[in-house]
Amino acid sequence: MAGIGFEIRRILERDSFFAVLKAYGYAGLISGGPWVLSILGVMAIGLLSVALGTEQQAVNQFQICVTYLMAGSLILTGGLQLMFTRFVADRLYAHEPRIVLPNLLGALLLTTAVAAALSTLFVLVAFSGSALLRLLLIANFVVVCNLWLVLIFLSGMKAYQRIVRTLAAGYLLAILVSMALAGFGLEGLLTGILIGHAGLLFAFLHHVVREYPGQSLLRFDFLDQRKAFYSLFAMGVLYNLAVWVDKFIFWFVPYTSEAVIGPLRASIIYDLPIFLAYLFILPGMAVFLVRMEADFAEQYDRFYRAVREGDTLMHIEYRKDQMVYTARQGIYEIFKVQGLTVVLCLLWGRDLLHAIGISPLYIHLFYIDIVAVSVQVLLMAILNVMFYLDARREVLMLSAVFLISNIVFTLATLSLGAETFGYGFALSVTLTAFLGFFVLARKLRRLEYETFMLQR
Amino acid sequence: MSRAFEQNQRGTGVNAAAGNAANADSAAAGSCVADIALLLEGTYPYVRGGVSSWVHQIISGLPEFRFAVIFVGGEPSLYGKAQYTFPPNVSHFETHYLLDNSAHTPKPRRGDPAAFAEMAALHEQMRASASCPHGAGKVGLSLDDMLNAFARLGGEGGISKTDFLFSEAAYDYISQQYRERCTEPSFVDYFWAVRTMHTPLFVLADIARKLPPVRMVHSISTGYAGLLGAMIRLQRHIPFALTEHGIYTKERKIDLAQATWIRDHNDDVSNTLHDEMGYIRGMWIKFFEQIGRIAYSQAQPIVSLYEGNRERQIADGAIAERTQVITNGINLQRYATALQKRPSGIPPVLGLIGRVVPIKDIKTFIRTMRILANARPDAEGWIVGPEDEDLSYVQECKDLVDSLGLQRNVKFLGFQNVAEILPQLGLMVLTSISEALPLVILEAFASGVPCVATDVGSCRELIEGSTAEDKAMGSAGAVVAIADPESTAQAALALLNDPERWQSAQRAGLQRVEKYYDDRMMFGAYRELYQATLASASALSAE
Repeated sequence: MAGIGFEIRRILERDSFFAVLKAYGYAGLISGGPWVLSILGVMAIGLLSVALGTEQQAVNQFQICVTYLMAGSLILTGGLQLMFTRFVADRLYAHEPRIVLPNLLGALLLTTAVAAALSTLFVLVAFSGSALLRLLLIANFVVVCNLWLVLIFLSGMKAYQRIVRTLAAGYLLAILVSMALAGFGLEGLLTGILIGHAGLLFAFLHHVVREYPGQSLLRFDFLDQRKAFYSLFAMGVLYNLAVWVDKFIFWFVPYTSEAVIGPLRASIIYDLPIFLAYLFILPGMAVFLVRMEADFAEQYDRFYRAVREGDTLMHIEYRKDQMVYTARQGIYEIFKVQGLTVVLCLLWGRDLLHAIGISPLYIHLFYIDIVAVSVQVLLMAILNVMFYLDARREVLMLSAVFLISNIVFTLATLSLGAETFGYGFALSVTLTAFLGFFVLARKLRRLEYETFMLQR
Repeated sequence: MSRAFEQNQRGTGVNAAAGNAANADSAAAGSCVADIALLLEGTYPYVRGGVSSWVHQIISGLPEFRFAVIFVGGEPSLYGKAQYTFPPNVSHFETHYLLDNSAHTPKPRRGDPAAFAEMAALHEQMRASASCPHGAGKVGLSLDDMLNAFARLGGEGGISKTDFLFSEAAYDYISQQYRERCTEPSFVDYFWAVRTMHTPLFVLADIARKLPPVRMVHSISTGYAGLLGAMIRLQRHIPFALTEHGIYTKERKIDLAQATWIRDHNDDVSNTLHDEMGYIRGMWIKFFEQIGRIAYSQAQPIVSLYEGNRERQIADGAIAERTQVITNGINLQRYATALQKRPSGIPPVLGLIGRVVPIKDIKTFIRTMRILANARPDAEGWIVGPEDEDLSYVQECKDLVDSLGLQRNVKFLGFQNVAEILPQLGLMVLTSISEALPLVILEAFASGVPCVATDVGSCRELIEGSTAEDKAMGSAGAVVAIADPESTAQAALALLNDPERWQSAQRAGLQRVEKYYDDRMMFGAYRELYQATLASASALSAE
C-alpha cells in the first residue's frame, strides 16, 4: 500500500492539526474502512428496518447471513488475496503493469467460479428456503469474494476522497435499497446489501481498469509456480481461519448458540460484543497505515537501495537500524493509541452499551474483546513488517500458532464456564503477538546475514 | 569417442585399451587410471588456442604414457562441446566447473565458528607472508598448515561449501574482514568478490579428493589448476609437475586491470595523480599471487618455455633449482610443403595469425596497415583467427578498418588452416601485448616467412636468437615495441622493400627453427621429464 502511504505523508507535511486529523481519518477509513463500514452498514440496516416495521427475526437472520458471508468469503479468498497482492507488487517492480489487469480479471474469474460452485453446493445441500433466498445468498457470496480481491487495488489509487466517497456511497446505496425493499423481509435486505456491494465492486473495478490498462483480456500468470508464492496462499487461509475459528466454535456448540436460519447458527452471548469491539480498532488501523505503509515502507526502500547500489556495510547497517527504529516506533504508537482506546472503553464501556441498548451482562466479554482486537491490530502490524521482509516461513508459523491456540484456548474456555468466554481468543492473539515480537526481532537481527548469504 | 566423453562429466576408464607406459612400473601403473593427470584450466579440450594445441601435441607425441585429462572451467555456459578428439592414450577424462552453485539451495545455517576462526588465522599468516619480500619457495605456511587448510575445505570438521556459501559464521567472517580491511565503499561488491574467489577452492578440494589414482599430476598453468596440483601433491604424495606457457599471475593482472565487472569507485574529484588500483582489484591480484606461490612451493619440476619466463617464475616465488626451460617445438615436416608452395618473390601480404582479442592488440596491426598502405598501396593485411571470443572487440576492430579507409587492404579471414595461409604471406606480424612462445612464429619460420613481432614473451629470442651460437644465425625479421604502429610499419616496409634482407631473414628463421624448435626435441625433453618424475614418485612418498 505504498501509494497510499505516500499520499498520506503529503497531507501530513502540511503540518496543521486539521491536516493530521484528516490524514489519520483517511488512513483509518481506508485500512479499517471496508471492515468497519460493513459492520456499521449491516447494523444500520438492521436498526432502520426494525424501525420501519420489519420483523426482528428477519433482521436477525439477515445479520447472521451477512456475518457468514463475510467469514466465508474472507477465509475462502484470504489466501488468494495475499498471493495476488505479492504477484501484483512483483509485476509492478518488474515494470510489467500491463499484465496486472488481465491477471486481475483471471483472478476474478477463478474466484467467481470457485465461490459460485462452493456456495451453490452448500446452499443446495444445507439450505431450505425460497429459491430467491438461495440465489441471493449465492450471489452475495460471489460478489463479496470478488470485492475483497479488488479492494487490494485501493493501494494503486491515490485518490482517497474518491475511495472514501465510493465506500460511503456503496453502503448508502445498500442501506437505501434495503429500506426500500424492507417490506420483502430477509430477501429484501439481502438484495439491498447485494446491490451495495456490487456497486462497490464495479466502481472499484472501473477505477482499476483505468489505472492499469491491459493488453489482453485474461491471464493466469498469478498461478504460475515460478511467479507465485503458494506459501502466501496458505498463510492467508490460516490467518483468516484463525480470526474466525473461535466464532465458529461458539456458533456450533449447542449451549452457546441457537439456530437462526437453515444451518446457520449464532451465538447471541458471544457475537455482539466482539463485533462491537471491532469498531474500536479504527484508531489503531489509522496509525498502522500511516506508520507502516508510509514511514516503514520508506525506510525499507532505503535499506534495500543501500544494499543494491553498493553502499558501505556501515551505512547498510545504519539504514537497517533506521528501519528497525521506524518499525519499533510504529508498533509502539499503535500500542499507545490502541491502549488509550482500551482505557476509554473500560471507562465508558458500560455507558456505551447502555446507550445503544445492549444488556450490561455483556460488559466483561466486551472488555476482553476490546483488548483482544487491539492486540490483533498489533499482530497485523508485526505480520505486515514480516511481509515486507519476505519472512514467509515465519508468518506461516505464526498463522498456524494463532489458529491452533485459538481452537485450543476457546475450547478450554467453553469447559471453564461463561465468565471465561472471550479469554480464549484474547489469549491466543496475545500469545501469537508475543511470539511475533520475538520472531520479528530475530529476523531483524539476522537481516543482513539473510539478505546477503541466502543467495545462490 | 569424444562424444562419449562429453556425455559423462566424470567418465572413467574410457580407454582401457590404451598402451602401458613404456618404462612404467607395471604394478603401480595397474591400479592407476593414468600415468599422468593433466590439470587444465579453461583450455583443452573445450577451447582452441596455443595451449590447447600444445596439450594435444604432447599427448599425441608421447603415446607410451597414459593421460588423464582433468578440465577445470568457470561456468558451464562458457564452454561448448569439445574441440579436440582425444588420442587413444587418453584413458580418463573429467570436466569440472568452479562457479556452478546451481546444486545448492540457500538455507540458513550456523556454520562452525571454530573452523572459521582457524581459517582466519590461516589468512593472517598468508597476509603476513605476502607483505614481506617474497623469498623463493616461501608461502608463509608450513606443509602441515597447508595440508590442514586443504583438508578443512569441505572436509570433516572443516568448512563445507554450503557453510561457506550460506552460514552465519561465514557472514560474520566476511563482514568483519570488510570492516577491518576493505577501503572501498561497496559491501555488496566486496561480498561477491570474496564469494566468487573462494567458491572454487571447495570445488578443487572435492576434485582432489575424488580423483581416481594416478601416478603424477601435471598442471599446465598456476592459478586454480596449479593450486589443485599442490593439493593433490600434498594429500597423495605423488609428484606434481608444472609447465607454464604464459605467466598466469601476470595475465590475470592484465585481465583484472581491464576488468569492467569490477566497479571503480574513484570518481573524477577524488582521482589523485597516481591512480591507485581499487581494493577489490588488489584483493583479486593478491589472491592469484598467493595461489601461484602455493603451486610453486609444491611443484617440481617447474617448466617454462623460455629463459625470460623462468626468471619471472623465480621472482614470483619458484625455487630456482626446480625450474627449467623446455621450448615449444613444431612438426617441421608438416611445414616443409608450405615452404615448397611459396611463390617466388615477396607477396606484399602481412599476416596476423591469432584470436581477435585485445591481448593480441589487433588495432595496432590495423593502424600499422594504414601507415604501410600509404607507402605500398598494394599491401594487404590478413587477420587470421577465430572471432567468437570477444564480439565487441571484433566490432571495434572492423569499425577501425572502416574509419581508416582500409577496406581494400585489411581482410578478416576467420579461422583458417595455417599451413595453407603461410605460403601466401610476405611477413608474419605479431602485435601482441603479451605472449609466451608463440607457435605461429615457429610455423612461419618453418614455412619460410620472416616475422615482425613485439618485444614480448620469447619473441626476441625467436627472431634474434638467444645464445651466441643462435644469434650468429642472424635476425629472422624484426622486433618492435608494443603499440607502436609507426615503427612496426617501418620494420615491415624495410623487409618487404629489400629482397636481400628479406631472404637472409627467411634463411635465419629456417635455420633456427630446425636447430632449436623441432618438436622431436620437445617430445624428448618431456619424455625424460615424465620418466624422471615418475621414478621420483617412490622417493617422494617416502618423505
